[in-house]
Order: sequence, then structure tokens, then C-alpha cells
Amino acid sequence: MKSIFKHRKISAVVAVVPKEEYRFDDEYPIFKLTADKAKRFKKMMSLDRHRIAPPNVCSSDLCQYGLQHLLSEGTLKKEEIGALIFVSQTPDYIMPPTSNVIQGKLGLGREMICLDINQGCSGFLLGLIQAFVLLEIAALPKVVLLNGDTCSKQTDKCNRISYPLTGDAGSVTVIERCKTENPIYMDVKNDGSRHKAIMIPAGGYRTPSTPETLKLREVEEGVVLNQEHVHMDGPAIFSFTMEDVPPQIDEILAFSGDTRESIEQFLFHQPNPFILKQMADKMKIPPEKLPNNVVSLYGNCSSVTIPLNIALNCSEPVLRNSPRVCLSGFGVGLSWISMVMNLGPLDVCKIVEYEST
Amino acid sequence: MDKPEFYQRLAAILDIEEVKPENVLKDYEQWDSLAILSVLAMADSQYGVTIRADEIRQVVTAGDLAALVEAKPK
Repeated sequence: MKSIFKHRKISAVVAVVPKEEYRFDDEYPIFKLTADKAKRFKKMMSLDRHRIAPPNVCSSDLCQYGLQHLLSEGTLKKEEIGALIFVSQTPDYIMPPTSNVIQGKLGLGREMICLDINQGCSGFLLGLIQAFVLLEIAALPKVVLLNGDTCSKQTDKCNRISYPLTGDAGSVTVIERCKTENPIYMDVKNDGSRHKAIMIPAGGYRTPSTPETLKLREVEEGVVLNQEHVHMDGPAIFSFTMEDVPPQIDEILAFSGDTRESIEQFLFHQPNPFILKQMADKMKIPPEKLPNNVVSLYGNCSSVTIPLNIALNCSEPVLRNSPRVCLSGFGVGLSWISMVMNLGPLDVCKIVEYEST
Repeated sequence: MDKPEFYQRLAAILDIEEVKPENVLKDYEQWDSLAILSVLAMADSQYGVTIRADEIRQVVTAGDLAALVEAKPK
């Protein structure tokens, strides 16, 4: 589904990562890997380090920290916020919505919309779409999009494949109206018939949490899971990223009148370096135009990978100019969303470290 | 398809000297989900074919895998 938004812009991106950093070289004995096997896995996945929040820190804490940072810096004022969107798969509670909890903690005004969205990999772009739409009706001029995930709580620490690739992070993105037309092109696709490819099977209302759903099972050597952890069908996800995502990139470039040359940066969701490199090769996008370092440095932090990617790899150009970028998020749902836009000049674009108080 | 070359690539993924068509993949300790991912990537980038999840699950021997890659339309 294609559409164009006009008179909208992103004005700030702040990514928040926990201070706690762990290196694969120190961690691999937990996974009972031999030094040899660890070396092969490290090479295949370009593993280096990741950030993991302490057990008592929720994704909302990371997001709130980033929002508080913008408010205290003065780049954003409480009186300007017309809507607060929280995109996450690790909310504080089943009810109330986490966006309401954050609104209350920060003492934001009542004349605003609070909205939680359950989405992961494509969640930054789904949140942006929602923000663009809400700007039409919000009484106040800015919409704040929060993306937060503490994915480390959805896997077992001893799972040799998923844990080293996982990271926790949050982000704050400010979206506002602008006088210039600034067209933003988007394409959205969903295929719920493949929803089982990435899922947490139990802990919701279809299969409520019981002692049984919390029982760890070894599905292959060193890969331990319970029914409340993320389950991934590797081959199904691989064929999805190779068969469905590249054609969408071709479609969106045709729709926006762009080419691989006219796009300065392809800032994509980063599931893991291996799959992203494979995708980039297939799409014939040169590596210097498609950064692939988020998972090696921070871990896969679900919907936060794109804003973290922007802040890590693109902050100079987007603070000074407005480079033409192609964004793409793909995964859980299955859902895949791509956008083309001129991004910047932003007021703020940075990574801050969260410190528990 | 150059079969000897395919078996060489498979051997490299499994980190062993040689793979024969009759070898059962599950018998290798290295045949785990990461090796499967590497095989899917190799089939895609070297042979231009995408193997589906249900197809890779039915593969037993190295020969089955070669046949699957060869039979797929490019």
C-alpha cells in the first residue's frame, strides 16, 4: 500500500542505550561453546558486543530518559506535545498503556493523545506513519514517537544463538509539521498468514502463562527456550527477507522517482549482520551506503535499530543537511514497511547512555 | 550445476574436508540452525535460488540438498 505524506518532518532523534556493555569474547563460555565454535559464530555474525539493561529497567525507562533529556535541553517543550506514541513489545503492563504511564510520570498536559502500538522490526516506520497521521488532528504542534524494547527479557541468557545478537534500547523521535512540501513516500505490506515465523507463543490470553510455559527446553545443542521466549523460524525469515523485502525497495524507489544512486543512505532495520549483508548484496546496494554495524555494537534492539542506525551512522549529515534516505523495517507480523524522504536538518541527533538512578 | 564445487562449498560450511552425496547432514555435529542459514545464503548468492523452510526440513543427505538446489528454477 503506497501513500505520500506532505508538510511533515522529523526534527529530532535521540537513541538511548543502557550503560551496561557485554563482550562476546567474555560471554561465550556461558553458552557452553568451544573456543573454536565461538570463533566461527563470531565471524559469521560479526559479533562484538551488546548492551543489556539491568533486570529492573524497562523499555519505558529508556524512552522516558531520552524524552526527559530533550525536555531539559529545551529542544522540546511539554506544551508542544500533541501526541505520545509508544511502540514496543515489552510494555510495562498489560494495562494501562505504557504511553499513559510515561505521560503521567513526566507531567505532560491532558490535551493530548496517548497511544501504544505493538510492533517490533517495522515499528519505527509504523510509528512514523501514525505520527504523520496524528499531526492532522493533534491540537499541539509536535508528536513524540517512543520506540523501546528490552529484547534481552524475551530470550534465555544461555541461548547461544539469540542472546549474543540481542540488545536493549529506546529512542525518542520528534515529528512536526513544516511549511515546505517535503514529500515522504511510503510503502506498507503485511502478511499475517506467516505470523508464526516470529512469535512468543505463550503468556498472552490465547495460551496464558503457566509453570509449563516457563519450562526451558533445548531445541538444539545450546539453544534453550521456553514458550514465553521469542521463537524464530530461521529458514522462513531468511526467505522472507530475500524474496519479499528487495522487491519492496525497488517499488518504493520507482514510486519516489529515485535510484540506488540518488539515495545517499539506506538506513535499514538490522536483524543481524549476516542476513543484512546478504540482502544488501542481493539488492546490489554498496556496503558504504547501507550501514550494518548496529548489532555488532549494540545488539538487535527490535524497533529501535533504525533510529539507533541514524544516530550512529548519519548524525553529521542529518544535523547539517537533508540527505535523501531510504528507510526499511521488516520482520514480526510479518510486516515490511519502507520510506524515502529527505531527512534533516535535525535539531538533535545523538545517542545517550542510560544510567539507573 | 557444478556438483563437486557445490559439495566443496557445503564442506566449507560444515568446516570439514569433504562431503559425499550419501552423507546424512544430521549426523554432523555442525549441522545446526546457523549451518542451515549458511546453506540458504549460499544457494541464494551462488546459485540464485531461494530454498523454502519446508523444503530444507525434508532434506536428509548432502545429495538431496544438491538435487533440491539443482531442481529449482533460477
